[in-house]
Amino acid sequence: MIVEDDQPILDLMDLMIRKLGYEPVLIANGLEALELIQKEPPALILLDIMMVPINGWEFLEKLRGDYGVREMPVILFTASPLVDEKMKQLKDPYLSVLTKPVSFNELKAGIARYLG
Amino acid sequence: MKPFIRIFGYSVSHTDLTRCIIIASLTLVCILITTVSISQNLETLYAQLFYFPIVYATYFYPRKGLWLAGACAVLYEGFAYLYLFPDSGSLIYVTGQAILFICVAALVAFASEKLNTSEARSRSIVEKAQSGIILFDQNTLAIHLTNAHLEHMLGFTGEELAGMTFPQLFSSTEDQLKFFESLKSGEETRDTETIFLTRDKGPIWVNLSGSRITENLVSCTVIDINKYKLAKQAADEIDAQYKQVADNFPTCIIIIRNQMIVYTNPSFELFSNYTRKDLMGKDPISLIHPDDHEDFRNSCHLAETRSPPPGRLEVGLQIKSGKIRPATLFFTRILQGEIPAVLINLVDIPGQEGLKTQIQQDSKRQRGIISTFAYELRTPLQPIMGYINLLTQDPDKYGVTEETKIILDRCAKSVDRERQIINQMLELSVIDAGKIPLEYSIFPVLDLITSIIDAGGYRKTADITIDIPNYLTFDADKNKISTVIDTMISNAVNYSTHPRKIRIAYISSPNDSMDRLSIKDNGIGITDSRLDEIFDPFPVSDSGERKQKYERIGLSLAIAKKYIKMHEGYISVDSIMNLETTFIIHIPKKRPEEPEHNVT
Repeated sequence: MIVEDDQPILDLMDLMIRKLGYEPVLIANGLEALELIQKEPPALILLDIMMVPINGWEFLEKLRGDYGVREMPVILFTASPLVDEKMKQLKDPYLSVLTKPVSFNELKAGIARYLG
Repeated sequence: MKPFIRIFGYSVSHTDLTRCIIIASLTLVCILITTVSISQNLETLYAQLFYFPIVYATYFYPRKGLWLAGACAVLYEGFAYLYLFPDSGSLIYVTGQAILFICVAALVAFASEKLNTSEARSRSIVEKAQSGIILFDQNTLAIHLTNAHLEHMLGFTGEELAGMTFPQLFSSTEDQLKFFESLKSGEETRDTETIFLTRDKGPIWVNLSGSRITENLVSCTVIDINKYKLAKQAADEIDAQYKQVADNFPTCIIIIRNQMIVYTNPSFELFSNYTRKDLMGKDPISLIHPDDHEDFRNSCHLAETRSPPPGRLEVGLQIKSGKIRPATLFFTRILQGEIPAVLINLVDIPGQEGLKTQIQQDSKRQRGIISTFAYELRTPLQPIMGYINLLTQDPDKYGVTEETKIILDRCAKSVDRERQIINQMLELSVIDAGKIPLEYSIFPVLDLITSIIDAGGYRKTADITIDIPNYLTFDADKNKISTVIDTMISNAVNYSTHPRKIRIAYISSPNDSMDRLSIKDNGIGITDSRLDEIFDPFPVSDSGERKQKYERIGLSLAIAKKYIKMHEGYISVDSIMNLETTFIIHIPKKRPEEPEHNVT
């Protein structure tokens, strides 16, 4: 599942993920995504951080807390250089970061960590 | 006026001369009467007459008087012998009379001597006193006696003063009435400060103490306090000026004397919401939170007695509403007039905290700027990079010819370089914002270097020798040291000439406090003038030379330098043009901030 509110990126990711051999679910709204995860849990979430109405961190908090989904791999897909600190605080073993822009090979390796 | 006149070479005062004439005439009269009486056979010698000159003379001149008495006795005896001989009965009477002369003279001389000594003593005390003394009559107010000190103080002569009345000395009738009022109520009055007038009508501050010495006579001590008063006036003026300064001070100021607030400035009134009236005379301890009472008392005491005064003290201060406001106090010892006092400078802690919040907000803002830049710079690159990747991955699907693929690869390279530069710029700004903490760990160095070389594929292009002991470990942030070493090796590979030879060596000794790692290449070298510039992310002048030779360095050396600096180490570089360049990384063996750490 790709949670991302930037349409050009969403379009690209759709192609790239398909190229890697997965069937992506594209969704621009974090809250809707959480609802959807309940019904059809994805194998992995690629999560943007700068989003409305809830940002990536809030999404993650709800997912791990309210929704109790603790072992679903999440890859933060962000342009921000300031995520390290927060990552350390969370100590989530199913959480990693890919910094935009990411090359095809990097994406492949990032996903392969969980779904290899 | 000359007090003395000269007679036959002797200096004689007027009084003495007058007295001598009186004594001489009295004596002559006595002799005359006695002679007449005897010659007329009146048979009475009027011996009592001789007592007048004798008593008079001995009273004023005890010794000379005795001589006179002796002379009179002999004279009297002589006359008697001349006229009364041979009547022995009369002679015995006359001799008795003569002896009586001497006895009376001796008695008078003794009494006079006694009297004169005590008077002389008092007189000398009055004359030589260091304060002015006035003796005046309480009823007539006439001045009876003054001493030289007073005369000097006021500029009058003794005669002039003797002709004046006591109230004439005062400059105002008000003070004069006050003085007499207090003198009437008791036997004495002390320390009345008033202004006297000198001979040339100048004012002079004096301190008066009066006491009644007889029923009518009042003795008054006059002390010149003019200098003291003027000095005090000046001090008060300084005090006033100082207050004016303190009044306009932006920080709170309180002055405490004898455990009482004697001054507060408007800033403090604003801080505490009390009015000046509320605060004056209050014990400052009543404003302090009970938990801080002891500290406050100690600090006040120290400030009053010792120099240098105590340092800062943080206390809770109770303001008018009853709320406790935190404040930092600074104590200073001052003199108010001549009394030691404590000046307290109060700094509002919430004010300081406001500044802290401001800094935090600034920091937050900086984070915001970095995030926005990162987002705006990186996000648009994603589709470019991703689509190029997809096109080259699947050339057939997208109809990409071999020729187009070459072009796309070049594009990909360019995009990748731009990505790298953006990443480095962001990394630098994050370091500058202090957002990157070091994560210390102890790691084997040889393993790290081997993995860096393998990951970078550097052995493909260069001959790399490594001279590092197997057991060597660094205590540092592994990721950052890895980035630094990677930068060094990458540069060495890029700027060395064929056949590329790179040597990596550990060059520290056991006694050395630093770990030192050198990376040497056989490259083009760096000119001395460029040695500093290569570490500068944004050099002032961007010369053609730099563009040509070092463009690929980018910001990596600047980042490497900052990473090593964060470890409190440094990077040195030594270069011989067209022969070799050696970069040496120096980092402390011990973690700087944490003296205690577990070596595992």
